Amino acid sequence: MKKIAFIAVHEFLATVQTRAFILGLLLTPTLITLGIVVGPRIFNLRTVRVQGQVAIIDPTGQITKELAATLDARAIAARRADQAKRALSEAPDEVRRLAEETGGSEQALESALGDPPDLRLVERPAGADVQREKEWLLADEEGSRHLALIVIHPDAAAPGASGSYGTYDLYVPANLDDRIEREITQGLREAIVNARVRVQGFDRARIDAMVRLPAVRSVTVMKGDERRTVAAFNRLLPAAFAALLLIGVMTGGQALLTATVEEKSSRVIEVLLSAVSPFELMAGKIIGQLGVSLVALGLYIVMGIALLLSFALFGLVDPWLLFYLVVFFVIAYLVVGSLMLAIGAAVNEMKDAQSMMMPVMLIVMIPWILWMPITRDPNSTFSTAISFIPPANTFAMLLRMTSTAPPPWWQVWLSIGIGVASVWVAIWFAAKVFRIGLLMYGRPPNFATLIRWARAA
Amino acid sequence: MDTAIFLQGVTKTFGATTAVQDLDLTVPRGALYGFIGPNGAGKTTTIRMVMSILFPNCGTLSVLGHGSALAAKDRIGYLPEERGVYRKMRVGAFLSYMARLKGVNDPDLSKRVRRSLERVGLEAVEGKRCEELSKGMLQKIQFLAAIVHAPELLILDEPFGGLDPISMRQLRDLIREEHRRGATILFSTHVMPQAEEICQHVVMIHRGRKVLDQPLAAIRRQYDPRIIHFDPLDHEADVSPLRAVAGVQSVERANGSYEILLAQGTDPATAIRQIAAAVAPARLELSRPRLEDVFISIVSGDGVTPQVEQTLRAELRDQAATATV
Repeated sequence: MKKIAFIAVHEFLATVQTRAFILGLLLTPTLITLGIVVGPRIFNLRTVRVQGQVAIIDPTGQITKELAATLDARAIAARRADQAKRALSEAPDEVRRLAEETGGSEQALESALGDPPDLRLVERPAGADVQREKEWLLADEEGSRHLALIVIHPDAAAPGASGSYGTYDLYVPANLDDRIEREITQGLREAIVNARVRVQGFDRARIDAMVRLPAVRSVTVMKGDERRTVAAFNRLLPAAFAALLLIGVMTGGQALLTATVEEKSSRVIEVLLSAVSPFELMAGKIIGQLGVSLVALGLYIVMGIALLLSFALFGLVDPWLLFYLVVFFVIAYLVVGSLMLAIGAAVNEMKDAQSMMMPVMLIVMIPWILWMPITRDPNSTFSTAISFIPPANTFAMLLRMTSTAPPPWWQVWLSIGIGVASVWVAIWFAAKVFRIGLLMYGRPPNFATLIRWARAA
Repeated sequence: MDTAIFLQGVTKTFGATTAVQDLDLTVPRGALYGFIGPNGAGKTTTIRMVMSILFPNCGTLSVLGHGSALAAKDRIGYLPEERGVYRKMRVGAFLSYMARLKGVNDPDLSKRVRRSLERVGLEAVEGKRCEELSKGMLQKIQFLAAIVHAPELLILDEPFGGLDPISMRQLRDLIREEHRRGATILFSTHVMPQAEEICQHVVMIHRGRKVLDQPLAAIRRQYDPRIIHFDPLDHEADVSPLRAVAGVQSVERANGSYEILLAQGTDPATAIRQIAAAVAPARLELSRPRLEDVFISIVSGDGVTPQVEQTLRAELRDQAATATV
């Protein structure tokens, strides 16, 4: 036991003191921060300034005038600002406050959204040849692009003989930005509705006032607290937990594999085996790397909690979930880590390990790949079944627990029980393969050989 | 007798291959044993079983009074044939780590490490990374790692492999020092002259079976000398009459001299008289039996023809040459 502890401490210190570990640990939060701070500055999401002509054939004679108003640059800017405000109202209170403090003014919004397009409406005669107009669409004039051809149906403003309203056809060239097309269709919708209302003799402002009902955000009630619901939080929470688990397990497993391959290829293994038994060596390495992974996981959890606290969202997370995250992490790490260690002991160099790692990685990645169906229907047959099949069970169960419909507790503890049993099997298998594989050189084995070793040892 | 290593009826197979068969071995405490045999004879497998790195299919084994070396690892020093170091680790840290793994709880461990480095004249490399050292230096560091805890039993598997003659001599001196300190030493080699230089007792293994287990002195007494070194008085003399002498099996020219191999059972005294009569000698010397000859002699007992014997000698010399390059 003393030797296991000594090897574990050595492995832990040897890893956490390396530049690679420190850089790797800081890399993820640094990249996230960079993404938030620098991303918007280098990825300009503002619409490019576009100037061009939009042709319209309007047999009703009612819509062109309305469209000229709704496609005016000022009208487009006003629509955009309205949409941005609606999106911001969905964000957490703290984000909204922050946006207001840092310039959530009209000017700031305009600056963030970019210049509205300069669209010039070109009216065509009611009986114009549509085919000929389509050719116009493809023939750009110097300094002014031909952006769209709108053909209004005759019954678009007033109901036809059948009593129902018609619509319009829209023709665009191949290289039109989808954001410009959206501005045109939104302007058209606005213009056609305005024309219909006017034809019927109604007052658009009154109708708007009657039908407008501001979106109301629900309030999430918690023990001793309540706050406005953040819909995205419920969607992102399972992904965040599964990502933490995956990063921690894969980091630890990969480190175990790399260290073992290196020790084997540098022929230091047999020297170590003269001092400790293979099991002591294996246990020491697994525990040492577990410590390393827990440090990384702990750091990310603390950073996550700090982030949630800063947005006053921590109350939305059940603290028990953090406990289960650690429990499932230890189980997943021991299973995946043992398998990685066995692979590391069996091969001679990293390139041999790549092909053997693939099946382990794939099994672990299944719940991650199927994150959406599991969280959308956490109690489906598939979600339930995979949360009992190791080594994917830990990931799947954590996704289910952090979803909006958590599984019953007996399922959670059954999954933990299966996980503990799988840890025992994985360590038993790894110990057998480790003992034989360490001294095996030459042609790298396949999985069938590893199973044969485990049975023979 | 107080034994350090005891093996009885030990057999180890790998699939259809039998690496060691029905091996009995007793190494008394304080002895310096050579464990010799050609490549693939089963030496490393036996040593790994002694070290409890491999486990026998059958037979009993005890090391320093324990049924398994695992119970006595801190009292055993082991230099494996496949040996390495943590390349990125500093020399001092590596030796300290190995000492701690071997149960050394000395508060002055760093001083102990420094003293051991001084012993081989490598105190200047204590702070260097292992990857910065030459191969010869690394061999010495690996040897120090095997003895840093002052073991009662020292097992060395092919310790001289890849060493230059000066490093080889230094290592030989260190082995003798460890023996004088009181350590029991078992070292394996396929280079038989190395064993002749150091060992008191030789255990020879061939195809997994023990074929010899005797003190070196007794071997020399027991095995008939069969090689005569011969320099003719006249360097240009015709030596073909030597081949006609009764009992002469072959005459080979080696290093400017002639090596006359006698057939099994030939009386050396009679042969020497007849050789001297056939061609006038400047030097006529009966060679002491070498372990190589003993090995060939034993293997010949299994019905080896003179042609096969020649091939075996050539193979043994090739292996020895490769080991010392």
